[in-house]
Amino acid sequence: MNHAEKAEVFNKDEAKVNWHDKALWYVREKRDTSAHKVQGWEYLRELGSSIKANVLSNLDEYLIQFETNAKKNGVHVHWASNAEEHNNIINSILEKHQAKKVVKSKSMLTEECHLNPFLEKKGIEVIDTDLGERIVQLAEEPPSHIVLPAIHKTKEEVDVLFQEHLNTKPSQGNPEYLVSEARKHLRDKFLKADVAITGVNFAIANTGGFVVCTNEGNADMGVHLSKVHIACMGIEKIIPQEKHLGVFLRLLARSATGQPITTYSSHFNKPDDGKEMHIVIVDNGRTEQLSREDFRASLHCIRCGACMNTCPIYRRSGGHSYDYAIPGPIGSILSPGKDMKKHSSLPFASTLCGSCSNVCPVKINIHEQLYKWRQVIVKEQKQPVVKKSILKVAGVVLSKPSLYGLAGKSARFALKHFPRFMIYNKLNAWGKARDLPEVKNENFDEWYKKRNKNG
Amino acid sequence: MNGIKKEIKMGREAILQSIKKNKPDLLPLPQINEKAFDEDINLLEVFKNNIALVGGSIKEIETKAIDAEIKTLYPNATQIANTSAKTSLGSIKISKNTDPHSLEHIDLAIVEGELGVSENGAIWVTAYNSIVRALPFITNDLVIILEKDKICLHMLQAYSLIDKRERDFGVFISGPSKTADIEQCLVVGAHGAMSLTVLLV
Amino acid sequence: MKVGLFIPCYINQLYPQVGIATLELLEKLGVDVYYPQGQTCCGQPLGNSGYEDDSKGACQVFVENFKAYDYIVGPSGSCIYHVKHHFDILEQTPEVKRVRNNAYELCEFIVKILGKTDIGASFPYKVGLHKSCHGLRGLKLGSCSEVMGEHFSTEEDLLNEVKGLQLMPLNRKDECCGFGGTFSVFEEAISVKMGKDRIKDHLDSDVQVITGADHSCLMHLEGLINRNKQPLKVMHIAEILNSSL
Repeated sequence: MNHAEKAEVFNKDEAKVNWHDKALWYVREKRDTSAHKVQGWEYLRELGSSIKANVLSNLDEYLIQFETNAKKNGVHVHWASNAEEHNNIINSILEKHQAKKVVKSKSMLTEECHLNPFLEKKGIEVIDTDLGERIVQLAEEPPSHIVLPAIHKTKEEVDVLFQEHLNTKPSQGNPEYLVSEARKHLRDKFLKADVAITGVNFAIANTGGFVVCTNEGNADMGVHLSKVHIACMGIEKIIPQEKHLGVFLRLLARSATGQPITTYSSHFNKPDDGKEMHIVIVDNGRTEQLSREDFRASLHCIRCGACMNTCPIYRRSGGHSYDYAIPGPIGSILSPGKDMKKHSSLPFASTLCGSCSNVCPVKINIHEQLYKWRQVIVKEQKQPVVKKSILKVAGVVLSKPSLYGLAGKSARFALKHFPRFMIYNKLNAWGKARDLPEVKNENFDEWYKKRNKNG
Repeated sequence: MNGIKKEIKMGREAILQSIKKNKPDLLPLPQINEKAFDEDINLLEVFKNNIALVGGSIKEIETKAIDAEIKTLYPNATQIANTSAKTSLGSIKISKNTDPHSLEHIDLAIVEGELGVSENGAIWVTAYNSIVRALPFITNDLVIILEKDKICLHMLQAYSLIDKRERDFGVFISGPSKTADIEQCLVVGAHGAMSLTVLLV
Repeated sequence: MKVGLFIPCYINQLYPQVGIATLELLEKLGVDVYYPQGQTCCGQPLGNSGYEDDSKGACQVFVENFKAYDYIVGPSGSCIYHVKHHFDILEQTPEVKRVRNNAYELCEFIVKILGKTDIGASFPYKVGLHKSCHGLRGLKLGSCSEVMGEHFSTEEDLLNEVKGLQLMPLNRKDECCGFGGTFSVFEEAISVKMGKDRIKDHLDSDVQVITGADHSCLMHLEGLINRNKQPLKVMHIAEILNSSL
């Protein structure tokens, strides 16, 4: 199913759509309030954008610098060209330590690489420890949002899920109770884990350190209680210097949830005594995206999710309608670069309203890239015959004023004189829920000619 | 194992070469004009408001009153781990060699913060302050003692103030652990500390 | 000052009254306005559908029609946005550049170029302003709720001077209506839902007439209002500014 079809299914339950829209709009409003409190917010975004542009233009040097410094700090650095290499590297580290129990904090990269099913097949227990991620893991669903993975679930649904998997008592969806039960359940997992896997929010070239941001403290609980820490990062997570965190940490949480900063911004530089720290640096299509001039700025993304919260389509179609690890506007410009055939409907799942570009903390021109992907997709992917021929013919008609005059007249004639059942048939997607405009006796051209004659 | 090593090496060279081939011409790294973020505000008051905003509580007291204050705030805490010299409280000995798993049932941890950030209520706590990295996270409740002249305006200032440190592990902590993953309902007390009290001295 | 009146294709065929109001309004304001014959379309429906290359003929016709004018003024922010931002597919001859630089949405032309906000209109109704995204975020006719800075709005400046008109505050003051050109048919379900939600906001805010500077958004909203028989009237801002009720 393409995006429009999935969205139509999601819209069958209008009350749920309203609920989903409202929940995310609330986050967007919190973001606005929070950004308003920052002196120089728009300049801060400008800085974020230009630092990231510099990073992309010098990415190889920064990665080498980062690797050298991380190694000096006693960290093991690995490189993976693709998802398969990434998963194999992690598996080899787990094998070396005979690890059977893994706790994982949020990492969209491991989601993108499908790490969990890969490790589970090898008999390893992988527990997602972010509460939202744990909820969707128990429900055997992918996350529907990168910051709020279970935003599509009501508290009542979570209640039922926890009763089934964590033996909780029915609570009519009492969030305090459900969180306290999850805390107990996951605390046990933290205490027994052999290895902790985390994502990376920012990796700092000039120190070899990296930063992981959470609100729940789950990354730290995992890392500090297990022998081995594996941090997975896409190549674009690099920033040049530690002081640049002063720009990005001011932008990230405010854009994501409206908080002034996440509860925990943990700076990892060296492994604790007697422990091991690994970093896996992953390409998986990113260098290819880097080669596309029109689309490379999509690699600025710091995964805040603000474009999802503001997107009127995302809010009304749900994250699963995008069928990609990263949904919403940013996912719609990243995914065609990975698999154009599969994701060809996503750049069209937008009105090009531009709100995504305005909220983006690193100023990715998302809506312009959506427009550009459309041009690429039409050229490279087979298009539905009807759509294609209509638009091709339109191109010819609109380039010839005389043809256009004729076409306009006959269309208006049809609208005015054809019976309703012929106009509102099932081929007319416009007319399913909307009336067509009432046709006047003359168009503007005709009126103008008449007026000039009379005047 | 040899096979894996070789593959890893190939990944590195392939990635770096691909970047070299695909990256745009060098773009300048921008200078940060910190003046653009200047604000004439009462650092202490804004800091206090932000601590409350992020779900923590804050109190200004004399150093000598710390013990009594904590006893009043946490009358039922028996398992107390303290790494600060500013208070004599503490029933559990903490050292570099403490197994973090043994801290599972800690009621209260008391650590010192090195720096507070007015704009977001974040406090910089390092492994030097907490001795055991897990301590501020695994404890049920957390008290951070912070000197009130160590509050700066924003994160850019904070990074210049902590620039000359020994880098092993450090964390900005802003409030108690929390989650809004169930229907956007904010619940304080996820996996880390259930509450945070900041004592300004 | 010679002004070429640009009447977008769908306004020409379906909403001649909007074209008429625009022309009368400009004449009322003393503008030397001409209507070049042989206009078709700016090419936006093709570009937004991914068929930009097939729209070059239409874009060329547009440039030919308007190259001789000092300003090109049209009652549709979206079409003007397309001319300004997407005519980069043509060879950038001096003529093409001139046309792109001098194309103005009607309200912007009145406020910025003519320097007028009070044009003596009266319209004693409660009005809700729909800010079209291409006008707002594309042409920057006003400040957006998600961008930090001073509030401003070209259309509000004009409407606030209309006698008897009461501009009603909305809950979501600049959310997209869901039209989006071919989006309205290819993503029918979401498009309709977005439109319904916008209309509900206006109804909840006690609005009698929805207006805006982009009739394509209004066509979509009107289609829904008529189908659902809702107590709202839809009028282009040119029609209101040209009123003396």
